Amino acid sequence: MFAFIAKRARNAVLLLFLASVLCFALVVSAPGNVAILIAELRTPTATKADIAKVEEELGLNKPLLERYGFWLNGAIHGDFGISYKTGEAVGASLKSRLAVTATLVAGGAVVAFLLSLFVGFVGALWAHRAPDVVTRGSALLGASTPSFFVGALLVYAFSVTWHVFPTFGFAGPVSWVLPWLTLGFLPAAVLSRVVRVGFEEAMAKPYVLTAMSKGLSRTSILVRDAIPNIAPTYLNALGTQIGTMVVGAVVVEPLFAWQGIGDLFLTGVRFRDFMVVQACLLVFITFFIILNVVVDICITLTDPRLRLQRS
Amino acid sequence: MTFHDGTPFDAAAVEWNLKRWIGLEANNWMNSSRLYAGTDIVDDDHVNVRFKEPVLGLLQEFAYVRPVRLLSPKSVSGDGSYKAPVGTGPWHQATAGNEGSAFERFDAYWGDKPSFKYLEVKVLPDSRGRMAALRAGDVDLIGGAFVSPLTATEAETLKGAGIDVVIDPGTTTMIMAFNTSRVEALRDPKVRKAINLGIDRAAISQVLYRGLATSTGNLFSETVPYSGKRFDVPRRDTETAKSLLEEAGWVGGPVRQKDGKDLAIELVVSEEQVPGSRSVAEVIQSELQEIGVTLTIRSVDHASRHSDIPERKFDLAFFQTFGAPYEPFGTVVGLFLSTYDNGVDGKLFIDPEHLDPLVLAAMSAPEGEMEAALQKVYDWLHDNDAIAPLLFVPGIWAHAARVKGFQSPATEYDMPYENITLAE
Repeated sequence: MFAFIAKRARNAVLLLFLASVLCFALVVSAPGNVAILIAELRTPTATKADIAKVEEELGLNKPLLERYGFWLNGAIHGDFGISYKTGEAVGASLKSRLAVTATLVAGGAVVAFLLSLFVGFVGALWAHRAPDVVTRGSALLGASTPSFFVGALLVYAFSVTWHVFPTFGFAGPVSWVLPWLTLGFLPAAVLSRVVRVGFEEAMAKPYVLTAMSKGLSRTSILVRDAIPNIAPTYLNALGTQIGTMVVGAVVVEPLFAWQGIGDLFLTGVRFRDFMVVQACLLVFITFFIILNVVVDICITLTDPRLRLQRS
Repeated sequence: MTFHDGTPFDAAAVEWNLKRWIGLEANNWMNSSRLYAGTDIVDDDHVNVRFKEPVLGLLQEFAYVRPVRLLSPKSVSGDGSYKAPVGTGPWHQATAGNEGSAFERFDAYWGDKPSFKYLEVKVLPDSRGRMAALRAGDVDLIGGAFVSPLTATEAETLKGAGIDVVIDPGTTTMIMAFNTSRVEALRDPKVRKAINLGIDRAAISQVLYRGLATSTGNLFSETVPYSGKRFDVPRRDTETAKSLLEEAGWVGGPVRQKDGKDLAIELVVSEEQVPGSRSVAEVIQSELQEIGVTLTIRSVDHASRHSDIPERKFDLAFFQTFGAPYEPFGTVVGLFLSTYDNGVDGKLFIDPEHLDPLVLAAMSAPEGEMEAALQKVYDWLHDNDAIAPLLFVPGIWAHAARVKGFQSPATEYDMPYENITLAE
């Protein structure tokens, strides 16, 4: 098991390095010149000389390899450079915003987890009956509805019409509810189908017949026998969905005026703030890679066959 | 009179503030900085500011939001770097962060004090979020083309929901530029006129801007000083447009050709720079197709536009005039004088031989002759169909029912709280 974890960790580091090269290449090849934007910020009618001065100051006229090496070395030591737009340390910006995004993704993940299990469980318990049809339809609708639309509907219902939750802000649990629901809704819909299909397959297995012959109820068979059997598949899907939630944060954070990493990334992209975009991409990629490793380990722990194979 | 921190606002403080920006090379785009010659403190209440020659629009420039500021001399660090916003205004900053800023009324303010004690400015990046916040009563005021733009459709939605919407005629004009240096066809005034006549401005104003924008054939609206005589708004006339293109040698169809080349033009659009421009571009695309012109729309973001426009990588592009307080010379000099480095804003139309002398004459004309000199610029642009003015961009604001006495600000950079009272 230790060898498996070590191997996964080594692969993760290699992947991270390749990803850093890729994201640097993507960012520098994007159209638009950040020096023009900065010069404009400093002087409303910046001249070509002003723009050249900014390029010199920021080292934007240096060879790409040199720029990449300088950036990577800093990133390894926790120094992601200075934001071209604000002049603040990017590391400090990330740190101050990390809690916001972590709160959003964690809350969204809890919503997705609970809602998907509930909906999937209801569907399986009343398989091929009215509740199953309703939950299946809801899941299809949920999986086809983009987050920004879900958010708009929730805000309209709970904030504009009923005044239950605030429309924006990051000021305590009451203001967290709508962003959590918005972010967790789509993954919940997808995951509920994984649960429902997994239960259906599990309930067709011979051990279920044995359990039923012993007089166990359908509910207790689902909880005791089916859940452990669908756990590896479900964890795998959950990991993927949590990964996509980080991307979803880029949409949900501006919608609710949350100043998280998603919002920082979006602003960085719009402004060609290379330092911010690179750092955010690296954070996203690192999160994905760590998440994958954790999910792999969890799957191995929950599946005795894999545990045996990998040890 | 004192700053918020109790420091006296006197001649020494004014001189200290002036010297933080005036005369610096980076601020040479302002006449007052370029022509600055020195300052002398007369007494505690008077400062003489000397210039090399009379400065056009001096007081106007002194009212700019940047780089002109009157800060407390104690509001900077030892090395002169900016530390805190301590001024003399009616509000002093209580808190500031990524989410917004809060201000408290400065009770020792020298002028008319605001009627309410506390002001919060919230950062709401999404326009739908701003609308929802207003409707839910979480904010009191949104809008302004510079601060938090609302589209005409959004204004209609808010009106429909019973929200008070205020439309300001605005001081900016949306104009389509012709790049004659990139597209040979556009060098022919007949082609430019045909395009001008192919656009249905009234339909754009009525449909896309829900009647909130006024279509125009002028560079400036009448709200701008020295905006010139009113030209007729070009009316869509496809038959005349087709005839003009025939005269210019562009024949055949469905796409006209000349010397085996299609009349195909690219229009650069940036929603971030000119909100609503994508829809306008699509309408123009379909209208020009009817007269045999193929228009390709290239959508770019803010950063790409700021590279492409100054480098003149466009055939057609939408521009907006600068608006108050920079007009009329901000646009006339900045967007038309070929020798003036206008940085990221680029040039609407350049003709060093014919247009530059007219602009230079307007710039150097004595006050009594300025209006006539500017009119010559406007006439030349109009007679040569050098630009395609489309509409005056309205400033749209919306406020909660408890906000009383709201008036649109004089410029997009002023916060419009002055006359507001809150009905509880």
